[in-house]
Amino acid sequence: MRLFLIAQNTLKEAVRQKIFHFVVLLSIGLIVGSLFFREFNFGISEIKFIVDFGSGAITFFGSMLAVVVTAQLFFAEIENRTVQTLLSKPVYRAEFILGKFCGILFVLFIFMVLMTISLILVIGIREAAIYSQISEEIYSKGWIRYGDVVLFSVVQWVKFGIISALTLLIGSFSRSSLYTITMSFFLVIICHLQYLAQEGWSVTSIWLLQGMLQFFSYLIPNFQIFNLGDWVASGEALPYSMVWQAGAYGIVYWISVSCLAIYSFSKREI
Amino acid sequence: MEIAVSIENITKDFSLKFRGLKLRAVDGLSLEIPEGEIFGLLGPNGSGKSTTLKMLLGLIKPTLGEIMIFGSSSAKVESRSRIGYLPEAPYFYTYLTGRELVTFYAGICGIPKLRIEERVSEVISLVDLEEASDRRVGTYSKGMLQRIGLAQALVHDPDLIVLDEPMAGVDPLGATEITKVVLELKKRGKTVLLSTHLLTQVEEVCDRIAILDKGKLILEGTVKSLLNDEQSKSFLVKGLSLETEKDFELWLEARGASLLAKEPAKRNLDKLFLERVTARKERKDIK
Repeated sequence: MRLFLIAQNTLKEAVRQKIFHFVVLLSIGLIVGSLFFREFNFGISEIKFIVDFGSGAITFFGSMLAVVVTAQLFFAEIENRTVQTLLSKPVYRAEFILGKFCGILFVLFIFMVLMTISLILVIGIREAAIYSQISEEIYSKGWIRYGDVVLFSVVQWVKFGIISALTLLIGSFSRSSLYTITMSFFLVIICHLQYLAQEGWSVTSIWLLQGMLQFFSYLIPNFQIFNLGDWVASGEALPYSMVWQAGAYGIVYWISVSCLAIYSFSKREI
Repeated sequence: MEIAVSIENITKDFSLKFRGLKLRAVDGLSLEIPEGEIFGLLGPNGSGKSTTLKMLLGLIKPTLGEIMIFGSSSAKVESRSRIGYLPEAPYFYTYLTGRELVTFYAGICGIPKLRIEERVSEVISLVDLEEASDRRVGTYSKGMLQRIGLAQALVHDPDLIVLDEPMAGVDPLGATEITKVVLELKKRGKTVLLSTHLLTQVEEVCDRIAILDKGKLILEGTVKSLLNDEQSKSFLVKGLSLETEKDFELWLEARGASLLAKEPAKRNLDKLFLERVTARKERKDIK
């Protein structure tokens, strides 16, 4: 109940933030704008371009939103001292962290729903226009699968959840929102490059380096697992196993990073 | 009578992160506050008042010692269900209305859904904020923020109310309103622990006070025992002519007493302010 109330209040606060409105409008603008940046040769390549561009915008702005909104919402409570009023009530620190996390997941869910609807609408508009101008034979080669666009969005949402949990973890011990935002962006970049550690671990013969790289690759989530945009743009059916794998992988990190954030926040003096 | 707050030899050190140096904010403090008492925690800035209150609320942990709230350790989250807290210069979620804010905290405190509306109306009425309760908190004045802060602190009907500088930055009218609420709480048998700099208000409302300095307890006792001088008495006299005044002095001397001070009776500035402002409001001079 308390967790739900904190999450609900976090959502209320987030949707009033200017950064949320700005990122949502900018992302929708970019997706819709891809209609005008299209290549001049009509055909499947244009749709692929729209999907690539749209999925790129979703991934980039979603990651940015996850870091900035999480840091802002968390530090708004610390800096305005509303956290003191809240934690002076019978509220466990775990409830506070999880309430914030769930509220932010709702915010990111709203973002993903808006983005997915915009992308599907834009693809639909262009597909209909192109379909009227080309032969049925070319069309039958297979175009964008809308169900896969939705699955792609769900997987990205899981990834944004990890980013948000990591930002909460950094915020739980950091003293400023600026430090939290900077460190979280660095961490997001490292997570995108985590596959390098994994590759290094498999090719190196030095046991110490191998051990270190192995530890590092387990500690840092591999964001390449969530990189399904190319599959969707190719028009080929997205293997469900990849979706499940990415979802389960992400949720394991949600839980483990949130637990670390709760532990770290429980030690914090407010 | 049950002991509401028992502070046993607590010490709090803050690390300065500089060559391992530490700052001792509270140094071996021990206090007991019985149920139903209004207790004032006084002291200059940096004397350890707010740190003591934060330890009592479980927001920070004492380095040494223990605090018990109605027999339960303050480190336990459950102990907070019997505490209502008004922080210093409170800041609340500005996008909520006063009523929504108190409703939110009522839910957090676990008041059953069916009782929330009734209880929220009760405390809003107690702090006299009915008219502004549907306005957003962001539009509230300082005094109104203190009162809505009191409402959220009282919504779950706590037995111990902790007020950190409740009258700071509030005009005399607002301070009088808060004093009224505190006295009403005492009537209802609640224990109130308040920290303040405003000594006039302490005199008016507190049963007992403690003065802290550099984290140490330097004085503790009832307001009466600390302020009353049993050796002398003061008389307030009206309509005494110069001649009679001299006779009075001689009369006192003849009986072995001496007049220690003779000065025109002064009016209290707070009372003068309240008289004038209240009178203007009653005449509806102000729109």
